[in-house]
Amino acid sequence: MPLIATMPLWPLVAYFGVVVVMVAGILALSWVLGQRRRDRQTGQPYESGMVSTGSARGPLSAEFYLIAMFFVIFDLEAVFLFAYAIAYDRLGWAGYVEMLIFVGVLAAALGYLWKVGALDWGTSRYGKGRLPTSAAGGGDSTRGKS
Amino acid sequence: MSWNWTMADAQALLPLMVVSAAAVVVLLVLACCRRAGVAGILPAGETPATRIGAVLTVIALAAALALLPVAGAAAPRSVTFLVIVDGYGLFFAGLLLSACIAVALLGHSYFRQETSAGGEFYVLLLLAAAGAMTLVFSRHFASFFLGLEILSVSLYALAAYNRASLAGLEAGVKYLVLAASSASFLLLGMAFVYAKTGTMDLGRLAQLLNAAPQPALVTVGLLLIMVGVGFKLALVPFHLWTADVYQGAPAAVTAFIATVSKGAMFALLMRYLVGVNFTLQYPLLAVLTAVAVGSMFVGNLLALRQENVKRLLAYSSIAQLGYLLVTLLAAGPGGRELAIRAAGGFLAAYFIATLGAFGVVSLLSSPQREAESFDDYRGLAWRHPVLAGVLAAMLLSLAGIPLTVGFIGKFYVLAAGVNANLAALVAAMVINSGIGLYYYLRLAIALFTPSRAEPPPRVAIHPAGAAVLAVLTVLLVAVGVYPQPLLRLLAAVVAL
Amino acid sequence: MILIWFILIPAAAGLLAWPVGRKSPLAARWLCLAAMVATLALGGWLWAATPDHDAAQGHWLAQFRAPWIPQWGAQINLRLDGLSLLLVLLTGLLGVMAVLCSWSEIHDRVGLFHLNLMWMLAGLMGVFLALDLFLFYFFFELMLVPLYFLIAIWGHEHRRYAAVKFFIFTQVSGLFMLAGILALYFIHGRQHGGDYTFDYVRLLGTSMSPTSAWLIMGTFFLAFAVKLPAVPVHTWLPDAHTEAPTAGSVILAGVLLKVGAYGLLRFLVPLFPAAARDFAPAAQVLGVAGILYGAIMAFAQRDLKRLVAYSSISHMGFVLLGVFSWNSLAMAGAMVVILAHGVSTGALFILAGQVQERTGTRDLDRLGGLWETAPRMGGVAMLFALASLGLPGLGNFIGEFLVLAGTFQASPVLTVVAAGGMVASAIYALWLVQRIFHGPNRESWRLGDLNAREGLMYAALVAAIVWIGLYPRAFLDTFKPAGQWLREMSGTGVGGSTGVPPVEVRSLLGTKPSVNTGETPVLPGNSEGRP
Repeated sequence: MPLIATMPLWPLVAYFGVVVVMVAGILALSWVLGQRRRDRQTGQPYESGMVSTGSARGPLSAEFYLIAMFFVIFDLEAVFLFAYAIAYDRLGWAGYVEMLIFVGVLAAALGYLWKVGALDWGTSRYGKGRLPTSAAGGGDSTRGKS
Repeated sequence: MSWNWTMADAQALLPLMVVSAAAVVVLLVLACCRRAGVAGILPAGETPATRIGAVLTVIALAAALALLPVAGAAAPRSVTFLVIVDGYGLFFAGLLLSACIAVALLGHSYFRQETSAGGEFYVLLLLAAAGAMTLVFSRHFASFFLGLEILSVSLYALAAYNRASLAGLEAGVKYLVLAASSASFLLLGMAFVYAKTGTMDLGRLAQLLNAAPQPALVTVGLLLIMVGVGFKLALVPFHLWTADVYQGAPAAVTAFIATVSKGAMFALLMRYLVGVNFTLQYPLLAVLTAVAVGSMFVGNLLALRQENVKRLLAYSSIAQLGYLLVTLLAAGPGGRELAIRAAGGFLAAYFIATLGAFGVVSLLSSPQREAESFDDYRGLAWRHPVLAGVLAAMLLSLAGIPLTVGFIGKFYVLAAGVNANLAALVAAMVINSGIGLYYYLRLAIALFTPSRAEPPPRVAIHPAGAAVLAVLTVLLVAVGVYPQPLLRLLAAVVAL
Repeated sequence: MILIWFILIPAAAGLLAWPVGRKSPLAARWLCLAAMVATLALGGWLWAATPDHDAAQGHWLAQFRAPWIPQWGAQINLRLDGLSLLLVLLTGLLGVMAVLCSWSEIHDRVGLFHLNLMWMLAGLMGVFLALDLFLFYFFFELMLVPLYFLIAIWGHEHRRYAAVKFFIFTQVSGLFMLAGILALYFIHGRQHGGDYTFDYVRLLGTSMSPTSAWLIMGTFFLAFAVKLPAVPVHTWLPDAHTEAPTAGSVILAGVLLKVGAYGLLRFLVPLFPAAARDFAPAAQVLGVAGILYGAIMAFAQRDLKRLVAYSSISHMGFVLLGVFSWNSLAMAGAMVVILAHGVSTGALFILAGQVQERTGTRDLDRLGGLWETAPRMGGVAMLFALASLGLPGLGNFIGEFLVLAGTFQASPVLTVVAAGGMVASAIYALWLVQRIFHGPNRESWRLGDLNAREGLMYAALVAAIVWIGLYPRAFLDTFKPAGQWLREMSGTGVGGSTGVPPVEVRSLLGTKPSVNTGETPVLPGNSEGRP
């Protein structure tokens, strides 16, 4: 039997209960204790004390998001390399080949991203909207023409 | 777990490897071509990238299809504890690969005028195909989930491929959110089952289910897994995304979602639930029956007054999957063989007719304008007589009229149902066939009535798409009249 | 081998007529006419060539077998006996009429129209010839699609509604029957150690529990009752008849309804004799209800085609009544009703089509006084109206009289009530003629009378109805061995349990008495001529 089947369930339930109670408690407390105002400006967005102008939904470059995403992807994939490093002697050549394929696919993906200009920060060499999937779409709502 | 490669393993996995490798190769080729063809030099028609992508994709898929018999020589074979290559899997892999080829060609026709679309469609298509094949070969929770996610993630992007249209974006987002949440249900269910039974092997699991009534946690786990599966199959009550995604996605992608994605999932479900004695698993039986009947009724009733052809076909596919579930419920200990054959036959028929119907939609559409309202189809018999005839034939097949392969499929399912004494389900199916007729015929007859509004312009038909439709139509009639080859193939499949 | 031509000739002609019709509509018409005449001639030749049916040979006149789907135990198994032969002849005759009556009516997409018409006829031929249940169902469904398109594309004002209603009624009931066929198939296969077959002759005599027999028979009855149509499931018929183009109405009323009757005779009773025996009283009540209901509804109609449609329901009630009496007299009567009604109703629908073509309306209130300018048309109408009301000397009389005589043995009460229906039919039939051809000519119609083509059509139909009326023996002789075999297959019969000695048809009609009365079983189970 797996480990979990032999463990009593109640600590988990208790833990779950504590979490629920605590979150509910914090929310309730802040609701009870916090001061509430109903002024004219309460609902307006705060912009360093200035009166806001225009819509809050303006275009925003998604490139920060892109970089974050690439980091997550490539960094996470490194995790597999660590796992392989621990067991490489047991996996033998087959494991080695598989790892090569894995890294190769990663390299191919990186090469593709490079070529299509997804890695270009800010000023794109090829103009905006080269990347067909949502990645480079960013703020441009008009479809790019080559 | 120690495991050594042998040539037989490689041989058995060859088709899957070809498809996976092709995805990487097409990706790299696209990157290079993109660099070579800088703005302004290229003609307004197809860019080399899309053309090369299409050619490579079709070659790779055809090669994988051709390699199936080679893999079959090594079958049945378990490659690691994750994957099993056997006759059953190979049959469905063949079905999926054929459908992918059709989708690739239809997509090629669809994107003909698009200059900036690139060839990423083909990369995603190949990835999705690899995911679908993993599903039909999988024998373990891990490969199950892996295949499912490869398929799903590719589909997120494919569904939103028409970024310029709001409907396309909506389709992508809806599919993303709902697929991700259903996948989490699936994972939770897998965790429950593993926690209680200690196995992630799907085959072992099926044995355990037959051994004795299972504890509640396992049943709950199985039901949660069903949520994930039901979402993929667009069964009621997990069907809410279907119409929007079908409508928003490019018609070729819609054809893919309706056929390959569902077919792969069903093949997996069937493989492990076949032979399970449902009388021991009452909750599962009740849920599946309710889901089957619900899918038939909800799908058909929602389709009745539908004025959008893609949505109509979406609802129709919900109902069709409801019929297909009957084979699953008929696959008790006594009816195992017949049920597998029925499922294979019905799916083959469904693939042909659905691909054909969406193929016509796809040929009439372009990224700028999806031909989806009834008005686009009224009077089609005058503008494109052959296309109208093909669409009418596909609709009649979906309705299960003799002379078309749809009749063979429906007959098979009914036979399996009657054999297993599923009187209520059979009756529901018969009644729903009647309801279904109404809207299939409504669309069929619209093709032959003069259009009220200004008729849409005549579009040029791309030869690749026309070839796909020609092959599908010939298959539709040939198998409908002389089903012998299909039946022989199915018999070989059951022999595993 | 000859049997397959009955299906192939119309089917091939239809396929050819489509492309030909795009170039030259007239060529398509001639092509289809030639094909149907050839089919009819083939049937006539087969009829003439068959030896005296009293000979002790098997009653199958011809057969054709070819493998089709061995995995399922389905094969192309066509057989012809007297019952099938008469229906094939009827189909051939009305097929010729259908092509002829579309000659000046259909101008739109002539090729496609003839494709549908010919395929429907091919499907009907297949239904009457197929003795493999799977093949039978295949044709049973197949013939509906062309008819659906005929109504939906070339029909009148409310054509789409009528077409969809017709299709859903027949398709759903048909699917129930398919489930029933499958149940029978599995029961038989399990009993006979995996001998899974759809072969009708081998499925005969499958024993099953009374409950399953009732359930399966129920599905068959539903399918055939919708086709017939019997009363609670008849509502598709007036719409479909009214909205269909003339050729569609002719085939629908003349042949398609007979599929229901044929199915009852051929499949329902012989396959489930015990259940059918128990069910017979209920079915007979439905038949009588149909007779009265159809007749009463008929004389409330303003629409010419609707009137004829309701009269069909009334006449088909006699068939239902006759079949479930299941003695030689009533069955022979049902057969004659089938033929005579096919001819007479076909003629009335052709007439309705011509009236509509010339005047543009079917509204009886707007018509009147047509006799002045179209006396020949009026004369023909009068003749077929008289046939419809059962005037002795014309076909319908023989059939209805035999049915009533046969039913009397089983249920005098029902017979008396049913005879009341004949009175009602006299009212509506005469009224029909009176309202169209006599009376004031309110809208000053001036019609051209029958032309040569139309005259020729009516001549053939009049000859047929008079032939049936004056010399029914020709038809009864053909049907007799088949009917006798069907009764043997179903044991002692369904309705003849009242102890009244059966009256032989021949002696009643004053022809030479026969040695074999219908109720005497001879050589049970081996006379079907298994190859």
